[in-house]
Amino acid sequence: MHTLQDPEFGNKMVTLMAALVLVLQIAMVAQRWIVTNIRLFAAQSFLLAAIANTIAYYNHAPHIYVAAVLTLLAKGILVPIVLERLVARIEIRQEIEPIVNIPLSIVISGGLTLVGYVLAEPFYRPEEAPGAATLGHNALAVAISLFLIGFFMMINRRKALTQVLALLCLENGLFLAAISLTYGMPLIVELGVLFDVLVAVMVLGILVYRIRETFESMDVSRMRRLRG
Amino acid sequence: MILALLLAVPLSACAACAVSAVSAVSRRRSVLEAVNVTAFAITFLLALAVASQVLRSGAISLWNGFLYADALSALVILLNAAVALVCSVYAVGYLREDQRLGALDGEVGSHGAEAKLRMYYSLTPLLVFSMLLVTLANNLGVMWAAIELTTLASVFLVTFYGKVTSLEAAWKYAMIGGVGLSMALFGTLLTYYAGHKFPGSEGVAGLNWSILVGQAAQLDKPSMRMAFILVLLGYGTKAGLAPMHTWKPDAYSEAPVPSAAILSVAVLNCAIYGLVRFYVLTSRCLGAQYPGSLLLLLGLFSMGIAVPFVLVQKNFRRMLAYSTIDQAGMMVTALGIGGKLAAFALMLHMTFHTVAKSLLFLSAGNIYQCFKTDLFLKLKGGVLKVLPITGAAFCLGTMAIVGLPPFSLFQSEFLMIRAAFGTAHFLVGALFILFGLGVFTGVTLHVSGMLLGTSEEPRAAWHPWRDTPIAILAVILIVIGFWLPADLLELIRRAAEVVSP
Repeated sequence: MHTLQDPEFGNKMVTLMAALVLVLQIAMVAQRWIVTNIRLFAAQSFLLAAIANTIAYYNHAPHIYVAAVLTLLAKGILVPIVLERLVARIEIRQEIEPIVNIPLSIVISGGLTLVGYVLAEPFYRPEEAPGAATLGHNALAVAISLFLIGFFMMINRRKALTQVLALLCLENGLFLAAISLTYGMPLIVELGVLFDVLVAVMVLGILVYRIRETFESMDVSRMRRLRG
Repeated sequence: MILALLLAVPLSACAACAVSAVSAVSRRRSVLEAVNVTAFAITFLLALAVASQVLRSGAISLWNGFLYADALSALVILLNAAVALVCSVYAVGYLREDQRLGALDGEVGSHGAEAKLRMYYSLTPLLVFSMLLVTLANNLGVMWAAIELTTLASVFLVTFYGKVTSLEAAWKYAMIGGVGLSMALFGTLLTYYAGHKFPGSEGVAGLNWSILVGQAAQLDKPSMRMAFILVLLGYGTKAGLAPMHTWKPDAYSEAPVPSAAILSVAVLNCAIYGLVRFYVLTSRCLGAQYPGSLLLLLGLFSMGIAVPFVLVQKNFRRMLAYSTIDQAGMMVTALGIGGKLAAFALMLHMTFHTVAKSLLFLSAGNIYQCFKTDLFLKLKGGVLKVLPITGAAFCLGTMAIVGLPPFSLFQSEFLMIRAAFGTAHFLVGALFILFGLGVFTGVTLHVSGMLLGTSEEPRAAWHPWRDTPIAILAVILIVIGFWLPADLLELIRRAAEVVSP
């Protein structure tokens, strides 16, 4: 049998790429520069599209190809370009100032990955669906970890733009969970979700721009007029 | 066919108002106003037609079950279309007054009044379209996308006045909403996973509620357990349940009043609708105990947290927002109690709350524009003297919303308490009464101080665009306290049967 047709090989490829996705996520937690963060996010989206392609190939599920291409276009190319232009336009200081310092953030992310693996365990049932369906058992654990680390990034960052980036990471986690659990949601749902992500980036981008103009800063912790 | 029309009307109104940016002919304010009011009047008539068709022949569907309307959807569609119509008429008067007062010129940004009006009149139909899609979509994933769209469509309504505080409110609204809804999406995904192994559930149909509900008992139990928690947190954020409620008072007090009314009433109905759909699936899969206790926890917590905030509130629009949190808590509690009676009380409450809360928001808008403040401290009473009709309507709405006996909400709240004691939820019933009393005290204290007394302001004239919707709503509120049309009652009963047959 040709190596490419061997599902075991596909499984290994998915696991490898999922691991890389996780590494990129932790790199985002550790990275200080906003532009690098955006590029890491773009790389992560590319890898996700590659995972989707691999799973589509080994499970003969053509609709995942469509989802993969759309993800690549939307989150791998369009969203990073929009965000980078926004960064250039608002001329911010390029540094992210996390609330918890970076070494501790990495340790916390490691802990969250562990939690992700524990949570993914009940979904691993090789006896029910043997063969190709076990593809991506690790991918689900990585997906849950991405989701949790995304939450952590959201809380840990003060600047409006970096919070948007954290929200996008949450969304990447969801996409990975969708392809590893059920080989993708129905296409119409994927389309709806992607459309919403794109509109959300536009809306939040405009908000970020206006916050920056109004407050002379993107630090959302300075917005505390509304209380009680 | 009628379902597609129902979606097409607000969408084309949105498109018509949005393209008016390019065509000089329709740039005038009156054209935008006419397009909106007409579109929502047609939407309301279509909603009536959908409701009557559902009553006559049961659930209807279109495009292979992509759109689906049963009694529950029909009820929510009817209520939301009614709110949209009333608010669109009111908005004409409200925004004209704003323009006259110069409130649209704003402190920040270079958006002129004209651009702002165009934004309002094209985003509101988009918001209404997305709310209709929430209730018509059979596919739970499409429903999720539509709920997310309600948030995205209304973010710029919150920043409408372009103030510093509106940006803060909109940021909170978009971010908390976004995080919450991402959890709901995870829950939806797990629901799909729980059912995707059945034959015939591949592809789009695998997330169709009407199909899932038939197989609910065989859904994968551990996944449904996790899915329900995530969905509850997600749509609970959208409904403004504590502790995810913090965006609510900010967004409602910064948005223009007609939008705040739509957000507080119709969008809340949509969020509760989403919760109900998932509750039905989960309770048929795992039994009513598990989702019920989670709902009771969040519902009672929301009711409880509203009490201190209502008591110390300084701003009447924020007070109304906390009252909405309290009411959302009540509805979720009723859902959690479970059983036929509680489900009926929930649907009844949703109907009554729709009327009473839109009345309150719209009359609060009149008071705000007349006195140019929304703080109790600066207002110092006399609203009844200056604005007799608005004041009377506000008083009426307040009495209804705190659950005073002759009014409608008393009936539904009484039914909820009866259902709680009837199903041996004694602690729930007791806490319900306690928190209800707390909100009652706070709201009546503030509102009586605001309405009674004297004021130096001259007595205001009758404003047809703003006062007619208020008068109509007030009459409806009084009438439904004593008499519900037989068809509406039947629709409410059937909607309750969807929840608990």
